[in-house]
Amino acid sequence: MKRVAVVGVGQTNFRTRRDDKTHPELTREAVSRGLEHAGITMDDVDAFVFGTMDPFDGINCPDRWSSTAAGLGKPFMKISTGGTTGLTTGIAAYQHVASGLFEVVVAVCTQRVGENVDAQPVLNTAVDPIYERHSGVGAISVAAIQATVHMQKYGTTEEQMAWVSVKDHENALKNPYAHIQKKIGVEDVLSSPVVSSPLKLYECCPRSDGSVAIVFASEEKAEQMRDNPAWVIAESSISDSYFVGDRPDLAVWDSLSIAGRRLYRLAGIDDPKKDIDVAELYSPFTIQEILELEALGFADKGEGARLAEEGVTFIDGDMPTNPSGGVLCTNPIGATGLVRLGEASLQVMGEASNQVDGAEVALAHAWGGTLQFHALMLVSSHKKLRR
Amino acid sequence: MKVGIVGIGMTPFGVHEEPFYNIAYEAAKKALEDAEIERHELDNVVLGGYDVSVGRTISNMYTAPAAGGYLKDEIRVSDDALYALALAYMRIKSGIFDVAMVLGYGHCSETPMELVELLTLDPLFHRDTGLSYQMSYAMQSYAYKMKYGVEDEVAAEVVVKDRKRASKYEYAHVREEVTVDDVLSSQMSVFPLRELELPPWSDGCVALILAEETMAKRINPEPIWVEGLGWNTENYHLGSRDLAELSSTRKAAQMAYKMAGCDAKSVEAAEIMDLTPYHHLMALEALGFAEDGRGEELIQSDFNANSSGGALCTNAHGTTGLFLAASLALQIRNEIDMGISHAVSGYAAQNSVVAILGV
Amino acid sequence: MVLRIEARWEIPYVHSAGEHATKFFEALKEKRILGVKCPKCERVLVPPRAFCERCYVDTDEWVEVKDEGVIETVTINYARFTGLPEPPYAVGIVKLDGADTGMLAYLGGVDLSDWKKAHEKLNVGTRVKAVWKGKPEGRITDILYFRPVEE
Repeated sequence: MKRVAVVGVGQTNFRTRRDDKTHPELTREAVSRGLEHAGITMDDVDAFVFGTMDPFDGINCPDRWSSTAAGLGKPFMKISTGGTTGLTTGIAAYQHVASGLFEVVVAVCTQRVGENVDAQPVLNTAVDPIYERHSGVGAISVAAIQATVHMQKYGTTEEQMAWVSVKDHENALKNPYAHIQKKIGVEDVLSSPVVSSPLKLYECCPRSDGSVAIVFASEEKAEQMRDNPAWVIAESSISDSYFVGDRPDLAVWDSLSIAGRRLYRLAGIDDPKKDIDVAELYSPFTIQEILELEALGFADKGEGARLAEEGVTFIDGDMPTNPSGGVLCTNPIGATGLVRLGEASLQVMGEASNQVDGAEVALAHAWGGTLQFHALMLVSSHKKLRR
Repeated sequence: MKVGIVGIGMTPFGVHEEPFYNIAYEAAKKALEDAEIERHELDNVVLGGYDVSVGRTISNMYTAPAAGGYLKDEIRVSDDALYALALAYMRIKSGIFDVAMVLGYGHCSETPMELVELLTLDPLFHRDTGLSYQMSYAMQSYAYKMKYGVEDEVAAEVVVKDRKRASKYEYAHVREEVTVDDVLSSQMSVFPLRELELPPWSDGCVALILAEETMAKRINPEPIWVEGLGWNTENYHLGSRDLAELSSTRKAAQMAYKMAGCDAKSVEAAEIMDLTPYHHLMALEALGFAEDGRGEELIQSDFNANSSGGALCTNAHGTTGLFLAASLALQIRNEIDMGISHAVSGYAAQNSVVAILGV
Repeated sequence: MVLRIEARWEIPYVHSAGEHATKFFEALKEKRILGVKCPKCERVLVPPRAFCERCYVDTDEWVEVKDEGVIETVTINYARFTGLPEPPYAVGIVKLDGADTGMLAYLGGVDLSDWKKAHEKLNVGTRVKAVWKGKPEGRITDILYFRPVEE
């Protein structure tokens, strides 16, 4: 396996609508920034991997149009796997280089949720039309049902969940690219209107337009390109069965535990709490950060809700989580997973806007479908975890 | 380390009553049976297929379990499934995985496909022109036809040959033989293409088991090696391209030949995604079998093209390319030593993938 | 002032349920809910599917499950979204007696205006029973919703 590193990250400002640019223009914004960060030009790139969810952007297969800004005349491949798309696009680009076929590959994801008057009709088509589409399950309800059981089973409180939102919003203030930049307190969250019980408005993500590009390079090229690449240590992803009702216990995201353990085995992680310095997790809803922290071994079952409340996951705590403000403050759905990887990479490069002191190992995560898919990638400032 | 195909599973292609995920299960099961391995011996699943044709965003939610992906590592390319073969190859070549289920799904019977493809046009410049997918291929056909003076009879002959081969191929969709007269007297549909010069819209799935060399030899004593792969993308804006040639196919083929360390002379058979008879000729040229404009000379020869009948007989949009590659693999299993397979996607063959398979 | 172009996607679909699922819908006409039992792991799967994802075998053994069961989880929706019902409405996962997997379903028969009060009546573990459409048509909407069983 060829060693691979992230050598450049480019993001656009994420907003409700980017009226100023077309799809390919937005793609170009991220790609140019990524190339600049890597100190290379388009000529240096061997291949592109593009990720987006069809058809949120009001155009089916927008990659065909956006490829003019990201891969014209080069090998170009399109990945689409629901919410995990951003990260699986990064994983595919990493695999392009790890295979030895290419040396410099750019992963780019562009999503323009703002093109829709309301993204829900598109999301509705994710739900099986034969058995389930009538059932009125929106994206928020899927997380809400997780919250109901977690509260019931472990006594998680609304206030504990609210602290996750307070943390993410506080972090987003330091991230110039973040969509929602607003200081809020626990009371603001608790008094915001209930959207799908028990989740309230400030516990839910926005829908954002934007693009993100990440440059992957082979070991040899990476060392030429920068002093502080973010080395890819390992990746893993998993697919559960389709039906949400198949999950044995919605208070435990067991499929994420399985994917996490596979990753830790590959990476040589003994104790994630000690070995991982910062995590960028895909939690568009407060409860999900709690479930994810438990599933990934950062907290025991049922203990996850205490972490934000006790300051552990804040920027100066022992386990900073989502220092970028996370998905709760920025969610360009198909691109979101790649933003997680971008932020995780910037952390171990020491170049993040909300930098965790001395971060050397960072975890990026994304989930997708109706709680069906997970993807994970671990990056480090060292080539190997054990020196 | 080589990477080889050790199992092949295909459903018949046509208009199916079953939903696409049940058809995918059939193809995947067949591939596992063909390889004589169990689901648990796979370590990952790579899917290829589109969402909007089946009316479900994240359609891989349904096909991942169908392909044997339950609690396994899975990824999906949202384009022709020949791309999935390329990605699976890289995932194995990198050493991360050993045994992949590559599954392509194509399902066209639930919705008007022209509308699905029409919506790939940007709403600013192209969508209001009402340019359909077939029209873009027709325009390209016309550009080529006019540049090189290709006679109607030659195009008709391509259809006749494809149909003849499909009539002998159990998996093909449209299998009725036709004559040159039948083709030339069929209704003019999308100028210059007549009805019989257009591909069908098919339902069907293809699954291949791909494995790392040492595992491959344990599973199947005669794996079919993936010798070369190439893919490339052209400009989305039709007006910025020379439509009379398939330049993304040419570049993809160059990449594949380079990887395989050979050229067109070593290739005994080709499976071409000929969405029109003119694309058959253009592809032959882009793949290096004929000089530009001289593809038609191959039609009169005994050049081994499209034992499957090609895309003109089977077009499960989203997996046509993988269908052709699987058909090539079957040929290699039974008769020949090396072949080339090809896929296009997007308006006027914007994207191309090429695979070279051999023993 | 940038140009904005309105567009609308109207794509008609006819989704085939397949032979397998059709059996399930036929049974709904008789107010019966069917699941399939996997020959290997012996789980009874509701909604039924043509194959067990875990064991990867065809599931042809049909089993009737009760139209009554237990709420595994629930949420009450108060927001208006395009293409979704008028709020408030409650949705949850119900494990029917005899089934090993839960089914996504509407929950009702309870005042939803105050979510905390509603959760007392519709909670994890609450026993519920299906309320059927007067004249079932063989569609999933024949089950109008599940309501708490009076003790």
